Amino acid sequence: MIARKNIVAILLGIELILNAAALNFVAYSRYVTNNLDGHIFSLFIIVIAAAEAAVGLAIVIRFFQIKETIHIDEATQLRN
Amino acid sequence: MFLQFLFISSAVLTVSCALGVLMVKNIMHSCVFLLGSLMGIAGLYATLGADFVAITQIMVYVGGVVILMLFAVMLTGGNDFVSRAQNLLGLPASMGNKWTYAIGLLVGVVFLLTNIQLIRGLTKALPVKTITNEFPSTVTQIGHLLVKDHVLAFEMSSVLLLGALVGAAIIARPRKQN
Amino acid sequence: MNQTVVSYLSQYEFYDFLLALFRSNQGVLAFTLYLLLALIIVGMCATIGGLGTYAERKISADLQARIGPNRVGPYGLLQMLADGVKMMTKEDIMPFTADKKLFYLAPLLCLTGVFATLAVLPFSSGFIMADLNVGIFYLVAISSLVGLGVFLGGYASNSKWSMLGGMRGASQIISYEIPVTISILAIVLLAGGMGFGTIVGRQGGLPHEWFMFHNPFAFIAFFVYSVGALAETNRAPFDLPEAESELVSGYHTEYTGMRFGFFALAEYIEVFVVCGVAASLFLGGYNVPGIKLDILPMQAAQFVIFMTKTLVLYYVVIWIRWTLPRLRVDQLMSVCWKYLTPIAIFNLMGCAIWMVVFNGKSIAELVLGSH
Repeated sequence: MIARKNIVAILLGIELILNAAALNFVAYSRYVTNNLDGHIFSLFIIVIAAAEAAVGLAIVIRFFQIKETIHIDEATQLRN
Repeated sequence: MFLQFLFISSAVLTVSCALGVLMVKNIMHSCVFLLGSLMGIAGLYATLGADFVAITQIMVYVGGVVILMLFAVMLTGGNDFVSRAQNLLGLPASMGNKWTYAIGLLVGVVFLLTNIQLIRGLTKALPVKTITNEFPSTVTQIGHLLVKDHVLAFEMSSVLLLGALVGAAIIARPRKQN
Repeated sequence: MNQTVVSYLSQYEFYDFLLALFRSNQGVLAFTLYLLLALIIVGMCATIGGLGTYAERKISADLQARIGPNRVGPYGLLQMLADGVKMMTKEDIMPFTADKKLFYLAPLLCLTGVFATLAVLPFSSGFIMADLNVGIFYLVAISSLVGLGVFLGGYASNSKWSMLGGMRGASQIISYEIPVTISILAIVLLAGGMGFGTIVGRQGGLPHEWFMFHNPFAFIAFFVYSVGALAETNRAPFDLPEAESELVSGYHTEYTGMRFGFFALAEYIEVFVVCGVAASLFLGGYNVPGIKLDILPMQAAQFVIFMTKTLVLYYVVIWIRWTLPRLRVDQLMSVCWKYLTPIAIFNLMGCAIWMVVFNGKSIAELVLGSH
């Protein structure tokens, strides 16, 4: 396994996690209940994951504009 | 039979591409493996009869998020920083030592038992679901649900998207060099 | 309602004959029929793609008052075979510092994104490969793979001009998906469903029954869709990522031989698919004007009508390409975000208000009285 320090790689991992949860919800909707609540929740997860990816990448780009690198260990201060 | 074929191929695609996201060194290849993984999950949604969710997944993720990630990699240089710290056995340090796995196993077992108790209590009250092999289309039902039962979440998600759009544009705008 | 080609064919007697041939294994028979029909459709569309190159040269020659290719075969018809052979026998060069895996993958992504959309095109009422209930949505979603292929092609060539061309091409494609999708949403409102069978079934054969003349908003939506879809296929006045390849470079400079052939073929077939979608959504699709029987020759008539409408739109696309000058990148983006997207959103709201106020009737139904 490789431990990545690139912030964009971390965001890729977050997308995988959110997708796994959404898949679980749809499976619940099919095998346990008779309604479509799981589908609705999955749709909202997809929407929110996309919005979060957009804002996260905007932050990454700003970080790069300031620090000229995207190594995660450089993100140590809350100010400047 | 076709359903099993679709399930097995989608599952294999998803898991192998997810492992590929984690393990390859080049981050552009990682993004392409993420694309494969998301298409595999769309196939899994299709085996569960969720046609609208599958197509939304493809549209939002493939057409949006993956391209966004690729642009961000392009704009930030695409360096692959890999932590090279190693533990005693020569493996990467983030894989942990024996205590990591022991505590993880213990927590997992406790969590599993708690959840089984909870779900057993919950599903007693639910009507028994007969699983047929028919997949009715979910589009009209989801449309009705979104504007009748879940209209608050729907409207709030549109406000959230507006906020994300404006926020991302403001955060990443080019600034004058002073 | 949700039918496929195989379920349509199962109405006829030779299906039972085939079933007995396959020892009543319905799954294998369905798979074989799908495979056969998929090969037929792919072959037909690849031929149309090849004919597209020939038609483009002939039509551009006509517009420029010269004669196009006329040496190879009668009226130059075998020119497309000659072009194909030339492309296939060229040397397959890959730049030394290029990214091998992505270099292989990019044309395949473009081609997959285009050929997978052929599965839902309504050629006739029985000949839709799969009449998905989310048909048009699937088509738009899968065509976004083409943008990804453009971007990766530009990146994998590892040359600065290619990367710039690829980034511009990808940003153009993803920007123009928005007015296209919103205009399609307006039509989905009018039709009451996303499946192609529903949408084309709600229209009729005569022009006053088309969705284009249902509404003034749908009329504008047709033009918004046309402009947006032209820009999505990197075609006509919007071909800056490509035209850079004529002037300096572009995302497919480093691709030679058949790999370049993949990109070019994907583009021509994508234009065909886009014209087919415009014909189905706005111009009445495969509906034959006047006749409403249910016999087998009817399918042939519907197919002919669909192909006629699509090829007329294809001709218009080629005509536009050789008439209008090319837009610059900033003009492209401003056309999309400042003009097309607000017009598309206004159309969507207008269509929704129309449906509520006039109870879903078209202008023709209001004027002539519904009969």
